[in-house]
Amino acid sequence: MQSNGMLIDTFSAPFVKRIVNSVALSILLLCMPAASWAASLSGDSSTYLQSREAADNSKILGGYEYLDFAVQDLGNDTISFHTGGWLRDDFQTEEYGTKTNSDLQYSYLSFKSKTDNTVVNLGRVMVFEGVAAERVDGLYARTDLKAGFGVSAFGGTPVETNINMPGDNVIYGGRLSQGGDSYKIGISALKEEKDSQDYRKEEGIDIWAHAMDKVDITGRSSYNDITKGWMEHTYVLMLGPFSNLRFDTTASWINYDDYFFRATTSALSVINGQILDGEKVRILGESASYRATDNVSIIADYKNFDYTIEGAANYYGGLLKYSADEGSGGAGLGYHRMSGATDKVRYNEYRVYGYKKLGKFDLTADLLDVVYDAPIFGVKDSYSGSLAAQYDLAEAWKLGADVEYSQNPDFNKDVRGMVKLLYRFGAKGGA
Amino acid sequence: MNKIKTKIILLAGLALLFGLYACAHTSSIATQHPVEVTGFPICSDCHTDWRTAMDHTSDWAARHRFYAEQQTGTCKVCHKESFCSDCHAHKEELKPSDKYKDSPERTLPHRGDYLNQHKIDGRINPASCMKCHGRSNNERCLTCHR
Repeated sequence: MQSNGMLIDTFSAPFVKRIVNSVALSILLLCMPAASWAASLSGDSSTYLQSREAADNSKILGGYEYLDFAVQDLGNDTISFHTGGWLRDDFQTEEYGTKTNSDLQYSYLSFKSKTDNTVVNLGRVMVFEGVAAERVDGLYARTDLKAGFGVSAFGGTPVETNINMPGDNVIYGGRLSQGGDSYKIGISALKEEKDSQDYRKEEGIDIWAHAMDKVDITGRSSYNDITKGWMEHTYVLMLGPFSNLRFDTTASWINYDDYFFRATTSALSVINGQILDGEKVRILGESASYRATDNVSIIADYKNFDYTIEGAANYYGGLLKYSADEGSGGAGLGYHRMSGATDKVRYNEYRVYGYKKLGKFDLTADLLDVVYDAPIFGVKDSYSGSLAAQYDLAEAWKLGADVEYSQNPDFNKDVRGMVKLLYRFGAKGGA
Repeated sequence: MNKIKTKIILLAGLALLFGLYACAHTSSIATQHPVEVTGFPICSDCHTDWRTAMDHTSDWAARHRFYAEQQTGTCKVCHKESFCSDCHAHKEELKPSDKYKDSPERTLPHRGDYLNQHKIDGRINPASCMKCHGRSNNERCLTCHR
């Protein structure tokens, strides 16, 4: 495992370094009298060793260390520190052109009030507020207000990859919401500037309404204020449960020119990539799920994709699921059919899986088979099967291994494997 | 004149926000679910109010984003930040379905042979790629899509 210095080296902006140093210093200061404050530390360490072959036939043997932890009850029970990241060293070759790689996924000091749901996070924060689904080096804050109102705001440097533009780089935005027990409505906006020029300007409205017993609707519309067009309208109607039967209906409209504006990979770029200029899609979906017993569920789903330029596609099928009591095992059997406008998007998809806890062992088997209507690179049947086993070494330690065999248009008799060591420390936490 | 008007409106808005904040007296949501939940949570098994909409049913993966955008605090009652970053990463090299091969019941992106399948998914619904790979976590995409 590399030193913390390597993590810091991955940042390019001095501003980010200052934030990280400030947060680290704050933590140090807060942790010094930790004994008297009874601060608690909890987290997870996951170590993986993965062996596989890359598309260029090179052999990859990557060692990964994922570490996340939280220090809570700092000073009092309203201040905490959360961080997570990973490091990789390839023992055999250079994966993605580098022998080592790393990422600081999030790292922030958090203040949470016991009233008004007031939260202030400082550092590398993830922001999910209306139109914003961003990772930001900066500040995020939210609070409840009087009369069912709530407000949130964020600002800082956007954490994005592969954008090389000169000058400053700033993102900020917020959301104002109002609601009660049966509804919530929000308006939100974000603005991103690069070199003092508008790079992204988005506004949105989001709703959730519990219209009546067993009837819920949720969704969002977002507007691109630079291209002057609606990016997306997506709404879901949820009905049920009616005697264990539930229906979810989805309707979505996406305008590619507005939605894919500012993508940084050509695969998702309208300007110089593979996204069709002027394309629009309407997606209608229906999902019905039935809990036949406490352990058995049956799900049927259908999606219709209707494009302006490319034609239409339908995806439909079902899944039979079994879940044993208290998560001690389960199984699934599924089938889906994709029926698109061309042979490239026509296939049948089969899935069967099972998992079982036997004493200290967890055993898993999974098979995914895709049969194309027309062969791709001479292959009509693409499948992958995996076996995984995990052993509880101790209450906090687990050792696991898995192997996957696949045959597909890109790999012939491909075998890949992984060994992992998991350690959970400190207080009990969520998933 | 317009600048002065804008400043007055902003100051009035801020004053209103502070006023509404000073008068607000709601209880903060719990930081941890009081009862341990195993498997996929069906909130309606216990709750009868707005939380019933958060049942983690088969289509939860498709609609979870609305709840994350509207009430992140509720998600954090059960989930740590690392749960989100497993998929919503800045940079990531291991597929979520590789890290959690022992959880076949979970809806995780990119199961099985995804090198070929991504061409199909990208054609059918590229918007589903955009959230995670549009402006971040696309180093792997850029090895071919420069």
